[in-house]
Amino acid sequence: MSDALRAEWTKLRTIAGTWWLMVGAVAVTVAASAGIAASTHVSPGGSGGASGAGQDPTKLSLIGVDLGQAVVAVLAVLAVTEEYGAGMIRVTLAAIPRRGVMLGAKAVNIAGLALVTGAPAVAGCLIAGRLLLPEAGLGPAHGYALLSIAHGPTLRAAFGSVLYLGLIALLSLGIGTVFRDPAVSAGIVLGLLYLPPLLAQLLSGPWRRHIQQIAPMTAGLAIQATRNIRSLPISPWAGLGVLAAWAAGMLLVGLAVLKARDA
Amino acid sequence: MSEARIEVDGLRKRFGQTLALDGLSFTVAPGTVTGFVGPNGAGKSTTMRVILGLDSIEEGTALIGGRPYARLTHPMRHVGSLLDASALQPSRSGRNHLLWIAHSQRLPVSRVDEVAELVGLGKAARRKAGGYSLGMRQRLGIAAAMLGDPPILIMDEPFNGMDPEGIIWMRGFLRGLAAEGRAVLVSSHLLGELPDVADHVVVIGRGRVLADATIEELTAGASSLEDAYLRLTSGAVEYRSGTDGEQRR
Amino acid sequence: MSSLVEPSRSGGFRGALLSEWTKFRTVRGWMIGVVLAALMVVLFTFLQANGMHTGYCTTPNPSSCVTGHQYVPTGPAGDAVADTYELVAKRLTGDGTITARITSLAGRIWAGPANEAPSLSDTRPGLTSWAKAGLLITPSTKQGSSYAAVMATGSHGVRLQYDYTHDRAGLPGSISSTAPRWLRLTRTGDTITGSDSSDGTNWRRIDSAHLARLPTTVYVGLFATSPTTSEGSATQAMASFDHIAIDSVANGAGQAAPGAWHATSIGTGPQDYYTRLGNGSYRQARDSIVVTGSGDIAPAVASAGGDTASDSLLFGLVVALIVLIVIGTMFITSEYRRSLIRTTFAATPDRGRVLAAKAVVIGGVAFAVGAVAAAVAIPLGEHVMSANGNYIFPADSLTVARVIVGSGALVALTAVAVLGIGTILRRSAGAILVGVVVFVLPTFTGPGIIGPTSSGGAAMWLYRVTPAAGFSMLGLLPRSGLVSYPYTMANGYYPLPPWAGLLVLGAYAAAALFAARVVLRRRDA
Repeated sequence: MSDALRAEWTKLRTIAGTWWLMVGAVAVTVAASAGIAASTHVSPGGSGGASGAGQDPTKLSLIGVDLGQAVVAVLAVLAVTEEYGAGMIRVTLAAIPRRGVMLGAKAVNIAGLALVTGAPAVAGCLIAGRLLLPEAGLGPAHGYALLSIAHGPTLRAAFGSVLYLGLIALLSLGIGTVFRDPAVSAGIVLGLLYLPPLLAQLLSGPWRRHIQQIAPMTAGLAIQATRNIRSLPISPWAGLGVLAAWAAGMLLVGLAVLKARDA
Repeated sequence: MSEARIEVDGLRKRFGQTLALDGLSFTVAPGTVTGFVGPNGAGKSTTMRVILGLDSIEEGTALIGGRPYARLTHPMRHVGSLLDASALQPSRSGRNHLLWIAHSQRLPVSRVDEVAELVGLGKAARRKAGGYSLGMRQRLGIAAAMLGDPPILIMDEPFNGMDPEGIIWMRGFLRGLAAEGRAVLVSSHLLGELPDVADHVVVIGRGRVLADATIEELTAGASSLEDAYLRLTSGAVEYRSGTDGEQRR
Repeated sequence: MSSLVEPSRSGGFRGALLSEWTKFRTVRGWMIGVVLAALMVVLFTFLQANGMHTGYCTTPNPSSCVTGHQYVPTGPAGDAVADTYELVAKRLTGDGTITARITSLAGRIWAGPANEAPSLSDTRPGLTSWAKAGLLITPSTKQGSSYAAVMATGSHGVRLQYDYTHDRAGLPGSISSTAPRWLRLTRTGDTITGSDSSDGTNWRRIDSAHLARLPTTVYVGLFATSPTTSEGSATQAMASFDHIAIDSVANGAGQAAPGAWHATSIGTGPQDYYTRLGNGSYRQARDSIVVTGSGDIAPAVASAGGDTASDSLLFGLVVALIVLIVIGTMFITSEYRRSLIRTTFAATPDRGRVLAAKAVVIGGVAFAVGAVAAAVAIPLGEHVMSANGNYIFPADSLTVARVIVGSGALVALTAVAVLGIGTILRRSAGAILVGVVVFVLPTFTGPGIIGPTSSGGAAMWLYRVTPAAGFSMLGLLPRSGLVSYPYTMANGYYPLPPWAGLLVLGAYAAAALFAARVVLRRRDA
């Protein structure tokens, strides 16, 4: 297994694209968070959805993860689908004939890279939020504490967001293994992530809640909530658990396909 | 129809630091099969891509009957080419692969079935190309090259992956093309095949022409074509196995 | 050696086009994907429409709630209108004139919580800008009837308005006892002329209105109404009139029309949608009449609580967009993946021509998907929404055709843009990433989907400058300068006019194609 890990690691690190995508993921995440934080203006006082009462500064400052996950997902999809392009997969499987070991090695490496990408990205988001949100009407002057990981729920949100990116990478790897084509796989992953939240927004009543409970993105991102936890469709850790189940499920399907089909 | 001749003159091309083509010049005349040989990385495929207008060049010209490839109307009626037999959409059938090319050259659909028959693709033409063996892909590639009934043919390693029967067929096929008055440029690593197929050989190394002669001229001072080849290319290879490399120094 | 047909100079592009179309249609996966995309649009439109139900309550008591929508009148031109006001009128047969002086116009604004039914118990004084009071002629007191009126307004001066959408300014300034306004309407056949004056002697004609098929006997009289403020508070207006005279030509010049004043509250039933403050009333004292009213006579806007025919189309279109982004990318990147691009360029050395042919093929296919799907989905969605009790804003067939063409163009331009991106990047996953992030995600900021963003302003900008602007083509909600209403994303209004939005998306597609062409020319295949 350690040889396989090392081989897959070498494969990943020797493609310039890997590093570019990682840097891109961090940049996109932090830029999106900073942009949203800078353009937010919460009117003080008042009631209703658009004013301060319902705001969650931690979740708002981590919003870049919504966007950055797309880059992480593509990084993971490419890790497997690229091999099918030029027939590389045959070389890989000649070197590591045990397909479970091969996929496991890929999974460990790609999840590791996603975590390594996620840590600075999430840190950057929180720093941007700490600096920019007071200007937007979500600072100490308006009854909101400055963002700090000394605050338990914020620490959970930050740590959970990094884990979230790791799980998204595993989910994407599984889908890439099933479909083999980079275009089809990337389309399916991005559709699976982004379409259910949109659908939920357009529905009402119990259906909306059910979709938010089972869709990978909406469930997984429950980990970012720090306020009004009781009114969430799903609790933070349970939500991340739903995403983990998705990732494990897709990896298992991927493994089954990998074993059943000719390379 | 324009005169069937490939004229390559003073090609120079760089990939980063490496000089891929270094003033390469040669001519492929009508009615001959010209073998195109050289070590790996000598620039054979690059030259072929330049002739087909796929790669740009810094200096020099590559002309088809006096015109650059990109200026030809319906170029595949002038030059048929087979570069990489795996260059296929695997989910498209062989016949449909030929069909889109035929449309691009304004050729009648009947021509598609003619060439499929010509290369012996037969019923396999209606199957997905992704399932073809390498030999069948070569035949499909040759069928594509023959679609426009071109006076000039360029083929990169056409013997690759062919079974013995296929090799014999290919040999006769290439000779037949020359006998019809076409100019044929064939690259190959199978030196043994060349005397049976080619009238003329261009040997290149490190982007330069090392020899441009008939088979007879080339083998005149050597025991065999292989021997002549090794002597010509000894200074032009990037690597050589075992003790050979040390002997060079 | 045999020679085939001599090559012809013309028709090179047609050859490339036919060739690219053959390539597209012979990959079964793409054809299936395209058909599936169209079916998804229809399916999701149905599901979304099926989930949209409307009901309303006539009193705070839940037992008064019923399914179905409140009544929205339809004006003479077939548009949705607001038609709720207090009318104090007499009957006039044949040609004639009504004249009156308006000496004051004051109002009240609901000051209680937004979620409570407005009543006069908690108000503050104030006159909303489009509060209206003046003279009105109408053939019927049914809602949505044709009319012509000359009126004083809260802050838009004297106006002549007719049939809900027509408007012409008269004397400026607001009404007070020291600056009263004289108003006059004259009927001559189907023509009604409005005039105003500041002293009752020097009259100025504002404009004439033509009311088609006006019956001989009509209602003429005084009216007052006052619309909801742009913040959503109900209001009431109170106007005082004196020097009131109705001259009937039939009864001889200078003869007042007989009969007593009769007051009617129009559009004030429990099923009527317009939110009012208090009930209309009138008070007559010697020579003067005071009319109080709440409501509006104007085009209806989104506050009428309706949906549009394209409302259930959005999600399905986004799904189709993602499918077409994948197919559009593969149309070029799969050629690079298999080195097939070299065969393509060997067949058609003019690379710009190859790109153009590919763009036409994928654009045409995508347009067909979007347009055909929308053409099926819109009537389906409309039917399902109506069956669920929703009110659908009326849209004429030209407008519906615009949405259908717009849906096709939206999908087509996106597919073409992604083809360009795929050509530049040569890699599927990268191109799809850029395609989804640039062309799909901005649309999600619509009504707060990306998260708890409180900045509606950001969404407004995204729908102006990003490819999401293309979705403006779906906009069907009516807008009017005669209503002061916040035309925001939150209320369902796109910030750009339809074709301008499509132009923004088109600019993105053009830029991507142009860059692709430049890159394609410079690069080795």
